[in-house]
Amino acid sequence: MSATPSAASGGSLSGSPAGSRPGTLPGTARGTTTRGEHAASGTVGALEAPVESASARATRPGGRGPLGWLRRAGWRHVIGIVFSLYALLPIAYIVSVSLKPHGTLTGSNELFIEFSFESYARVLSDPAHPFGQWFLNSLLVGLCTAAGTVFLGALAAYSFSRMRFRGRRMGLLSLILLQMFPQLLAVVAVFLLVSKLGTIVPWLGVNSPAALIAVYLGGALGVNTYLMYGFFNTVPMSIDEAAKLDGAGHARIFFTIILRLVAPILAVVGLLSFIATMNDFVISSVILVDPQKQTLAVGLYNMVSNPNYADWSAFAAGAVMAALPVVIIFVALQRYIVGGLTAGSVK
Amino acid sequence: MVNKSQLAGFGALAAATALALSACGGSGSGAASSSSDSSAPASSSSSSAPASAAGSLTVWVDSERASALKDVAADYEKNTGIAVKIVSKATDKIKDDFTQQGSAAGGPDVVMGAHDWIGELVKNGIAAPIELGDKSADFSDVAIKASTYQGKTYMLPYAVENLALLRNTELAPEAPSSFDDMIATGTKAGLKQPFVVQQGKEGDPYHLYPFQTAFGAPVFGTDANGDYDASQLLLGQGTKFADWLSEQGKAGTISTEITGDIAADKFAKGQAAYWLTGPWNVKAAEAAGIKIAVDPIPSPTDQPAAPFAGVKGFFINEHSENKLAATDFLVNYIGTEPVQTKLFESSAVLPALTAAADKAASDPVIAGFQKAGENAVPMPAIPEMGVVFENWGVAEAAILDGKDAQKTWNDLVTKVEKAIAQ
Amino acid sequence: MTQTAEPGQAPSGTPAPTARPERRRRGDRVGPSLGPFILKLVLVGLFDALVLLLLMLLLGKREWTIFGVVLVAAAAINVIYLKKGALPAKYLTPGVVFLLIFQIFTLVYTCYVAFTNYSSGHVLSKPEAVQALLSQNQTRVPDSPAYPLTVVSKGSELGFLVVDPVTGQAQLGTESRPLTDVQAEITDGKAVSTDGWQSLTFAEILAKQNEIFSLVVPRSDDAADGTLRTQDGRTGYQFVSGLSYDADAGTLTDTAQGTVYTDGGKGAFVSSSGETLMPGWSVNVGTENFTRAFTEESIRGPLLKVTLWTFAFALLSVATTFGLGMFLAVVFNKKGMRGRKIYQAIMILPYAFPAFLAAMVWAGMYSKSYGFFNQVLLGGASIPWLEDPTLAKIAVLMLNLWLGFPYMFLVCLGALQSIPDELEEAAKTDGASAWQAFRLIKFPLLLVSVAPLLIASFAFNFNNFNVIYMLTGGGPRDMDAAIPVGETDILISLVYKVAFTGQERDYGLASAFSIIIFVIVAVISIVSFRRTKALEEVN
Repeated sequence: MSATPSAASGGSLSGSPAGSRPGTLPGTARGTTTRGEHAASGTVGALEAPVESASARATRPGGRGPLGWLRRAGWRHVIGIVFSLYALLPIAYIVSVSLKPHGTLTGSNELFIEFSFESYARVLSDPAHPFGQWFLNSLLVGLCTAAGTVFLGALAAYSFSRMRFRGRRMGLLSLILLQMFPQLLAVVAVFLLVSKLGTIVPWLGVNSPAALIAVYLGGALGVNTYLMYGFFNTVPMSIDEAAKLDGAGHARIFFTIILRLVAPILAVVGLLSFIATMNDFVISSVILVDPQKQTLAVGLYNMVSNPNYADWSAFAAGAVMAALPVVIIFVALQRYIVGGLTAGSVK
Repeated sequence: MVNKSQLAGFGALAAATALALSACGGSGSGAASSSSDSSAPASSSSSSAPASAAGSLTVWVDSERASALKDVAADYEKNTGIAVKIVSKATDKIKDDFTQQGSAAGGPDVVMGAHDWIGELVKNGIAAPIELGDKSADFSDVAIKASTYQGKTYMLPYAVENLALLRNTELAPEAPSSFDDMIATGTKAGLKQPFVVQQGKEGDPYHLYPFQTAFGAPVFGTDANGDYDASQLLLGQGTKFADWLSEQGKAGTISTEITGDIAADKFAKGQAAYWLTGPWNVKAAEAAGIKIAVDPIPSPTDQPAAPFAGVKGFFINEHSENKLAATDFLVNYIGTEPVQTKLFESSAVLPALTAAADKAASDPVIAGFQKAGENAVPMPAIPEMGVVFENWGVAEAAILDGKDAQKTWNDLVTKVEKAIAQ
Repeated sequence: MTQTAEPGQAPSGTPAPTARPERRRRGDRVGPSLGPFILKLVLVGLFDALVLLLLMLLLGKREWTIFGVVLVAAAAINVIYLKKGALPAKYLTPGVVFLLIFQIFTLVYTCYVAFTNYSSGHVLSKPEAVQALLSQNQTRVPDSPAYPLTVVSKGSELGFLVVDPVTGQAQLGTESRPLTDVQAEITDGKAVSTDGWQSLTFAEILAKQNEIFSLVVPRSDDAADGTLRTQDGRTGYQFVSGLSYDADAGTLTDTAQGTVYTDGGKGAFVSSSGETLMPGWSVNVGTENFTRAFTEESIRGPLLKVTLWTFAFALLSVATTFGLGMFLAVVFNKKGMRGRKIYQAIMILPYAFPAFLAAMVWAGMYSKSYGFFNQVLLGGASIPWLEDPTLAKIAVLMLNLWLGFPYMFLVCLGALQSIPDELEEAAKTDGASAWQAFRLIKFPLLLVSVAPLLIASFAFNFNNFNVIYMLTGGGPRDMDAAIPVGETDILISLVYKVAFTGQERDYGLASAFSIIIFVIVAVISIVSFRRTKALEEVN
């Protein structure tokens, strides 16, 4: 691993805590160098990492036998299993309710005593619940919002990370402060705004998915921008400088170089935004009032908003199905998030 | 140095975003137009006339009634050319949304709700009075009484709901003669919890009210017109009820631990023979394979245990541009026997219109609820009821959980009196 | 030599696949090329076309203010993208446009409402309130009959053709002409037509429904006889107006008592004896809501307790969710660990389900006699999870941990990708224990990217109304307090209870409280930012 020029210059770390506390631990200085190198090479190191750690594991002390396995790798599985149970228990409840036709949400601790897909059939076939349509609406709104959020957020994060301008710190701070505003009246405000918009541009009015996406994109800059900003900062400036010397403009640097290097955080932000959109019913229920236009969250919430008539089993079935896209998208993005493919895409 | 040409990619990011959005919006509205076509096939024939100019009605309904009303609305559209757009709203949001959005553009013309909203809606100036004329005689007394506020009708009633006792006929073949008889029979059948009624950490006064009335303690007295009068708080007469409640709490016959879900579960499993609940739970009980009978609520005293009647109906938005069409839709259409019967068929709640109710009563379950509701009184719709509800259930829950009955009840009364006086 | 993949290095290094597109376009380096410039022009053009369309629409609707704002904004955007330089603006504008329209509007609206009396009984504008009052005070003359009615018109004049239910005589009247006898064709007791007037079909009635709905036909020259109105275009009823509005004086007069109600300046009509007519309307009340927020008696008592718990709740929520999320992210960030993708997918599951559903399931699991925790996990214990003040707090935190750790897990997993494993390996080679290596190397680096998020998370939880509301509703209730405040109430839920009690909704007061809470949170956050140096310049 020869040190590249960019890594050697690796000045982008001076602001980081690791850099600001030199010498607290032997190897810190070296660590920063390696870090710069790593980031500079666009997580190329990730390509080697599995090999490396695999070989490291083979030679690592720990011994053979179950105890050795536990010390080497098994403890991770122990933690994995324990916390999987923690994460899954309430969900198992929900799944169990969904498999029990007319089951109630609480009150029964005997999980999975019945196994019937009747509630699923009920949700899917009831004409009052155009579940398929809700599903499509949710995907449309969720994906558009996620894409928009990533795009707008990345643009902003890039400028905050790479450019120095007046009001930059203030801007960064206000982005986060804005989102701290208590939203007790958000629903009223959003309704007024959207119905006003609708009188001017009908396709941005009440019942329009475009209006909903636009409202969501109003929150595109915020905490997520910060998350991206932090990640952008780990990409050394030297890359930009090298590209600039090479004649690339800022647009090309951003689109063709930087965006690839920050792929994991883009995937995370996209996923966070997608999930938030999928689960929101406060804003969406104000904008999408026609059952055919509603998203899953709104439609499902409406199904149980009257406790007397709440069909919890059908609702649980709907919620289980609604969770699927989130899981699928996570699995699809997982390789970006955990870095494996970033290297591949660069290659 | 920034190369000018490289700026190009960003030249119109806003435009690109706008385009992306319009693409999303375009596809969205495309789907919309096709869906509205398919959902209202009847419209094509009649709306060729100046029907669209004649206006359309936006009707907010809670989601469980949306599909029933859709059919009914389609027929109305066929007859009159008025397009009725059914909007399904979350039940717990309709009232606040109506208040906030009623006067704004795009607000509803007609809103489905419950009679206990009337006081608030009138105070906010959002509900328009509806003149029923001679038609009011066609509705049940309790329905009309509930829909009337300060001498005027504000709601077209369509259904009356009240609590009754569901009985598992296999565990308890006979209707109980009194509350104690019920518990004794159930206990003899070997049940640990023979009777269930939904409570919770914060209590549930609606479900305990029949017992309270059996002890002669309504919430408010009525004035000369028969309207509830906030200056006559009669809650204070309920100290005997408080004592009784405390005993039940100690005996475990009524418990704050038994939530709606747990009650349903126990009844469905045959662990409880009696369930004090509303018509909304009949389907669940039957689906669990329980053979049920519906009985009047057994009284713990020699006075009848009278439940609250909840009346469902439709309001007209005072600020609607289509009040005439809305009135026609409600008074001359929803208020007619065939439509009330049709709504009954899809929702299985006792119709407010007497003719439809009589027809519906051929169903023994409906007849049972009707009988149990003979003494029912409308839940007070006056705004002061809000303060009562805020403190009432918690006090009852505290008594059930073992707090001193007399003190808790008296505290409740003082607190409500103080809040009303403010 | 994997490093050759680094694009910036391409010119001097060995040609690598990635370098290729860079090289192909290397001609761009000298002087501006036409392609991108045209693309930019096209996009700006498209944008301007859309703006133009919007402006035309606004022109049609005579929305002058919005017209002006759009025009100025569009001009600014054009300048930003067509002018050289102003690079940050080019990147920030798209997001900021949405931010300004949708986020800032909410903020501005809240601030606006905070200075009004927008609340139950004051949700309308003044003309709307007058309309509602007049409408509510139309009283049908007691025991008066119903008139079968046909709406007729002559030219633009509308009239009612009715049959007097008592005499059976057909009568016609208009707004200016009281009912007078006419000859008419009567079918089934209803006068259907009369000479010289055209009977309106239902569709025609609908086309003029507002005019007809508000048409008032005097029954006779004597005003006490009342007026005839119709609500459905088919039947007329005799009404008397309980109130009359004098538009010039702006007063309402009780027609029976003669009481005069004037605009009391507080958004309602008031009589000289102080009687108020409801509904009122929304007016500016200055800083009254803020004064009330600071002097509100009912909030005083529990305020200190609630504030302390709010801070504890927010801090502990952040600490637990971040702690667990980071821990799991680090554990499962081990490359080559078998099944780690499955574990990771499981860890985000709690996030994929609607929170209120999860809260309900948790509430059920916490149940003292029937809950899963007591019955199954603790073998029949009867721990009062939601009834005991301390346990209820723990219960809320446990739920919030479950709801929140997937977010932190995802965020940490993402952030960890910028930290190479080699760092840790290196430290270990230098003799540091695994824990030391993590604590001194990875953790600080991780903190750089997530520190602002932790502050944001603190602020979010500070106002996390939903989780409290869904699980405990703020309970267990404090039975002695004047307002329904409970042991797990946080500031925002307390505010909610004060502003929205019973059937009363005080949006003005709620807004004032929102602003006050915002100021508190913002100050704490700014101080925290300073401390974490999260805003330190990178270079």
